[in-house]
Amino acid sequence: MNAAALALLLLALAGALAIALALQIRQRNALRDWLIAPDLHPLPDGRGVWYEIFSRLRKTRKQEQLRRAELGNALERFRLAVQSLPEGVMLLDTQMHIEWLNDAACRQFALDAVRDPGTLAVQLIRQSEFRQLIDSYRARPVKQSTLLRAGSNGEERVLSVTLLPFAATGTLLVATDVTEQVRSELGQRDFIANVSHELRTPLTVITGFLEQFNGDDPPTGEMARRFHRLMAEQAERMNRLIADLLTLSSLESSGQPPRDEVIDVPALLETLRNEALALSAGRHAIDITDSSAGKLRGSADELRSAFGNLVFNAVRYTPAGGKITMAWRLIDGQPTFAVTDTGIGIPPEHIPRLTERFYRVDKGRSTAVGGTGLGLAIVKHVLVRHGGMLKIDSVPGKGSIFTVALPADRRA
Amino acid sequence: MHEHIFKRFDAELDDIRARITQMGGLVEEQMRAAMTALGGEDRELIELVIARDAGVDQMELSIDAACAHIIARRQPTAIDLRMIMAVSKIVTDLERIGDEVKKIAKGARKIFEQGMGGCLTQVTEIRYVGERVLDMLHDVLDAFVRVDADAALAIIRRDKEVDESFRSIVRQLVTFMMEDPRTISTALDIIFIARSVERIGDHTKNIARDVIFIAKGEDVRHTVLGKQGMEGENAQ
Repeated sequence: MNAAALALLLLALAGALAIALALQIRQRNALRDWLIAPDLHPLPDGRGVWYEIFSRLRKTRKQEQLRRAELGNALERFRLAVQSLPEGVMLLDTQMHIEWLNDAACRQFALDAVRDPGTLAVQLIRQSEFRQLIDSYRARPVKQSTLLRAGSNGEERVLSVTLLPFAATGTLLVATDVTEQVRSELGQRDFIANVSHELRTPLTVITGFLEQFNGDDPPTGEMARRFHRLMAEQAERMNRLIADLLTLSSLESSGQPPRDEVIDVPALLETLRNEALALSAGRHAIDITDSSAGKLRGSADELRSAFGNLVFNAVRYTPAGGKITMAWRLIDGQPTFAVTDTGIGIPPEHIPRLTERFYRVDKGRSTAVGGTGLGLAIVKHVLVRHGGMLKIDSVPGKGSIFTVALPADRRA
Repeated sequence: MHEHIFKRFDAELDDIRARITQMGGLVEEQMRAAMTALGGEDRELIELVIARDAGVDQMELSIDAACAHIIARRQPTAIDLRMIMAVSKIVTDLERIGDEVKKIAKGARKIFEQGMGGCLTQVTEIRYVGERVLDMLHDVLDAFVRVDADAALAIIRRDKEVDESFRSIVRQLVTFMMEDPRTISTALDIIFIARSVERIGDHTKNIARDVIFIAKGEDVRHTVLGKQGMEGENAQ
């Protein structure tokens, strides 16, 4: 009896032990699975001491996930910031392979952010200046810069490229587009050089002839008259140049053009046509096809100068036998003046720079036909002051169309 | 992508690739300078282009020597052999481009010395076509570095436009010469320049073909190695 009870007790004890053991093993297995793949096998609630362990583990993991997310966010924000910098940024490794680059760098060097990492930078950026920069940087890894010409499709950009050490072994490349700066610096320098040159050329001619008159055997008769005429021509050229310079400077310094002054544009076009015919001396057909846009409010002197410059340019740059037409009409409600010629045309790469002072497509030709190099600069200034726009369409060898669109509220 | 047991061999192949791109870069610069000089007034630039062609020739010799050296020492097979064969063809084309650029520079010098006559528009047009060819040359070198058969194929198609522009320039100049026999000598000079630009387009096309050759070679290699993923990607 007693032995039977003992056996029963022992059996119950063994059963309980087995259940407890199974429970322990299950929780241990859960922990193992969780350690292998925490996202696939979430921890059960657990019992006893396991409960304590599991809840601590869950808490630590949650904190770790949060920290990681924060870090990831910060990193992503940082990456986006570098990505959207206007400067081109590139990370290079010790061998100068491209590791990473931002959008601006892709644009500047025509690179591919997905395909090109892993390639040597010098293989894709092949300018010799860049190779020299890389060589000199590898010899002495300190901050170094160079200017680089890049770009395709006839559009050349100037980049200032800097290499600097980064982290322990990396190299950071920063590229800034300095095209505009280089151009405007050149422009300033060019302007002064150009004015001096343009003024000196006629002066040299005049002084040369004057010396002849000063010599032992001064010219007389026909020769004297010829010298006189040539000197007068050069003096006239200087006059024109100085007049244009003064016009430009007054356009820059005076205020807004008047709105109460009404210009009879159709009559102005007739006058311009007569003047153009005189300049052409019968070499061109010059017509007004349309003057339906009527009168305009603005400065008569300035518009006369702007329109005149366009028409006379057409006469100067159109070979004999060519045709020039003027049209003054409303396009989308805007009074628009267009001069069309069948002249030599302008290569597309020159068009954006035509309104720069003294900018010339062909230096020899422009002075030969009597231009001062300031005409289109004046046109641009007048239009800016009147709120207008200048558009230039041209096909080399076929001809050009210069279109001036003025704001609708300037109609009178 | 693939490595040889001899690391030196890989280094030698890399070195040849690097030198080709360096030579390509120099030729690109030469062409750009020649286009700037053409019809311009920068006499020094013209002389510089002519003088620098010797550097291009020198590079051809040294890359060719390196290729011969590799063939003799390593007896390359399959992809490596294709690569070296293509490289040595590309070098020849680059050197010819260099020669044509030099001819353009000499033509530019002649125009500069004689004054342009009435052919200004044609010179401008040549410069315009030249810029297109220069872009092609730039892109084909990029395609070589990236082993990009698609880009190379696009370049071959672009060469047709260059050929058409060349024919149009010649037609215009022929009309010119018929109208006024005094322009014949200038017009001929300009035709020679246009011809050089067109030849550069042809050499660029040859290089594009070699790039496709290299790329397709790799394609085969990947199938042999059973790299299905790469194969599918490259097959497009």
